[in-house]
Amino acid sequence: MFTRRDFMGCTLGGLSCLSLKGVVPALFARSADEARAADMNDHVLVVVELAGGNDGLNTVIPFENPLYYKNRPTLGIPAGEAIKLNDQVGLHPRMGPLAELFKEGKVNVVQGVGYPEADRSHFRSMEIWHTASTDTRPPTSGWLGKFLDAGSPAGVDEAAPRGLALTGVLPQAFQAEKTVVPVVAQLDQLVDVEDGAAALGKLRRKLSTAPGGEGEVGFLRRQADLVYRTAERLREAAAKYESEAQYPEGELGPQLRRAAQIIAADMGVRVLFASQGGYDTHANQAGTHGELLEQLAASLAAFQDDLESHTRADRVLVVTFSEFGRRVDENGSQGTDHGAGSFLFLTGSKVKGGLSGEYPSLEKLGDGDLIHTVDFRSVYATVLERWLGCPAEELLGQKFAPLDVL
Amino acid sequence: MRIPDLSPYVPGSDGPWDARTAAHLLYRAGFGASPSEIERAVSAGLEPTVDSFFSESPGEEEHFQRTFEDISASMANFGEPFVLRAWWIHRMVRTSVPLREKLALFWHGHFATSIGKVENTYLMHRQIETIRQLAWGNFRELVLAIARDPAMLVYLDGESNTKEHPNENFARELMELFTCGIGNYSEKDVAEAARAFTGWHREGSEFRFNPEAHDDDVKRILGRSGRFDGSDVVDILMQHAATPRFMARKLLRFFATAEPADSAVDSAAESLDRAQLHIKWFLRDLFLSKYFFSDECRGKRIASPVEFVVGAVRTLGVRIPAFELAERVAAMGQELLAPPNVKGWDGEQKWINSSTWPARVAFAEQIAGLFSDNPFGPHLDLPTLVPPDVTDPNAIVDRLAGLLMAAPLAADTRRDLSEFLITTDEGKRPDLFRDDPDFRADRTRAVLGMLLGLPEFHNC
Repeated sequence: MFTRRDFMGCTLGGLSCLSLKGVVPALFARSADEARAADMNDHVLVVVELAGGNDGLNTVIPFENPLYYKNRPTLGIPAGEAIKLNDQVGLHPRMGPLAELFKEGKVNVVQGVGYPEADRSHFRSMEIWHTASTDTRPPTSGWLGKFLDAGSPAGVDEAAPRGLALTGVLPQAFQAEKTVVPVVAQLDQLVDVEDGAAALGKLRRKLSTAPGGEGEVGFLRRQADLVYRTAERLREAAAKYESEAQYPEGELGPQLRRAAQIIAADMGVRVLFASQGGYDTHANQAGTHGELLEQLAASLAAFQDDLESHTRADRVLVVTFSEFGRRVDENGSQGTDHGAGSFLFLTGSKVKGGLSGEYPSLEKLGDGDLIHTVDFRSVYATVLERWLGCPAEELLGQKFAPLDVL
Repeated sequence: MRIPDLSPYVPGSDGPWDARTAAHLLYRAGFGASPSEIERAVSAGLEPTVDSFFSESPGEEEHFQRTFEDISASMANFGEPFVLRAWWIHRMVRTSVPLREKLALFWHGHFATSIGKVENTYLMHRQIETIRQLAWGNFRELVLAIARDPAMLVYLDGESNTKEHPNENFARELMELFTCGIGNYSEKDVAEAARAFTGWHREGSEFRFNPEAHDDDVKRILGRSGRFDGSDVVDILMQHAATPRFMARKLLRFFATAEPADSAVDSAAESLDRAQLHIKWFLRDLFLSKYFFSDECRGKRIASPVEFVVGAVRTLGVRIPAFELAERVAAMGQELLAPPNVKGWDGEQKWINSSTWPARVAFAEQIAGLFSDNPFGPHLDLPTLVPPDVTDPNAIVDRLAGLLMAAPLAADTRRDLSEFLITTDEGKRPDLFRDDPDFRADRTRAVLGMLLGLPEFHNC
């Protein structure tokens, strides 16, 4: 039996699937979509952004390729040090915990991910990844915001947020027309706010969240209202959570730990967004990059471990991304400049383990950069259709073939 | 609707010059506005008030320099970033020319440089001194100073930009974020400009030109060819038609309205072009314009954390250690010396989320809870804001709201607050409120905190 909300989970912009397609086939399409959406209704997606442009070549290392070592005279990772995934490529030596997950078949490495006419500006390229659009005037909504809007018919309680940002600020991917996505960090502060005189707290809430308002007041009131309602739920989740999982210190570990708390509380969250910065390694890259990758690998492994011990692992998929890779040849400062094309990881119990996509050529380059072999929107399409149960073509504006990774 | 252009606002025929109009101007050009500042502005008139923004007593800068030296000599270590942050906030709170600090803040977000990468507070201090000093001068001078600024040379890798290995980081951001904006140059222009800046290095905390690392060959940038160096690139970008427009839009967003209409940007770009990129003359035009006082710009921004915190402190004459203010501002999403990336803070609606909004409310509460009789430490002079002999609840609410709000309170909000003033756990006690000054002061503080934390106060 499908509830109305289950069905709404696979509609777009308030239109049912029925109105998107021809009438007769749509009757079948609808029931198929409906069933699939219902199956996936408790699936959670965790997006992990590696901000600054992760050097894919030193993350997934082509240790058999002499061109790699020729272009990377000081930064190249020796073949003996890479953690081999097969006889051609290996992970950075400090990514041991992720290699372990790979052995268990819980990681898919998607190779050569990018988009046409790669842009080397952090902001422009981030905008492209966050909006899933290469249009010069990109949509204001992000791709995750569109997904949330599609399944967010009027009347659904926003304080049971379906999207949550674990970052300090709201990522563009979560910009939406109808859905307000809260940022989790420092919500403890709100507890302080609500302590003290009850009458004061009550009146503040009433006056801060009244409907309407001139200028930006209306916006501010809607935000305040959301803050109050969400804080209550998140506080409950954190109070119930217990875990033995060992997350590393640093930027990412605590975000994923909070994600695990929230997922374990079964609040109905569908998408979480975490971010790890610092990948813009123009100079003296080796140490910094290794440290970041070590944190990344250890955080992803701890998260998987945590979810398994809370029996939530079958419901959670993690996808990493970065705005671009880096130039194939290193620069004169033992660093690398902005490039194109990179690699991303999907992790989770339901992932088909292995490598997918084609390793980009180091011989045939585009303006000194890797030429992508997989459009990133194929990854999005896969995640939307096969994990979140949402038709991807309408959301992405065109058809992208899904990958065989889920 | 027709967007008013930057032609002058004539008080009288175009609208009033009263306390609210003056408060709008003072909030935008500075941080908050105390009742006495507003009074002074109203009686002086619009144009003299705007001119006063740019006039500083010669002793003031000297005074700050001397205090800095004194603190540095034996009180605190400016090598600690938190000390330097506090120092800047202190200047914002104490300055008699707030526009200079406000512009320094604008440029800090524009030429965003983070101590996270620079890892040297002295260089950061030098950069802030530079943007403060050149804040309202000619934009070309400022850009050139930034191109040679040691903190920037570290932040965008200028110091490793050499003829053999050009590093594009600075050249790209110079075009994309600092001058003409994306879409107005090619990848080739970036690469060629990077060559022109090769050899612009630093030695310790000083700029140094390194001729051996400089590429002296011909470059071709934005349609021109020559043996260009960095200052030529700056000149070329200053003559780029897109630069006044890019900068006008950014200045309007900061000083006038979150979403300036295209036609307003066009007028502003013309004005900036006419002013030959001289920031002072542009801002003078803007602050005196019909557009600035129109509905397009009134109450159309969200206060940044610094504007909110420093504004509240200046408006109320509150005393709080600047160390603490700097921390509060950071918790609200604006950590000074550490903008999130080279694009600076996005600002406006992006300031507000489930983490930063509670931080704003907590600060409002903190201010309201300050003592009136603390000889040292944090201090709020409540009797000056609300004289103890005012006992009518409506009068108290009106007085506080008049002090803080850009627009009058909604009738039901006003009624709720007045009722709240006289309500105890046991119900309404108008008699107690009238007769007990301590109870009255307590309730007045609660309402003050409430007003500072209401959405209306964060819209400016």
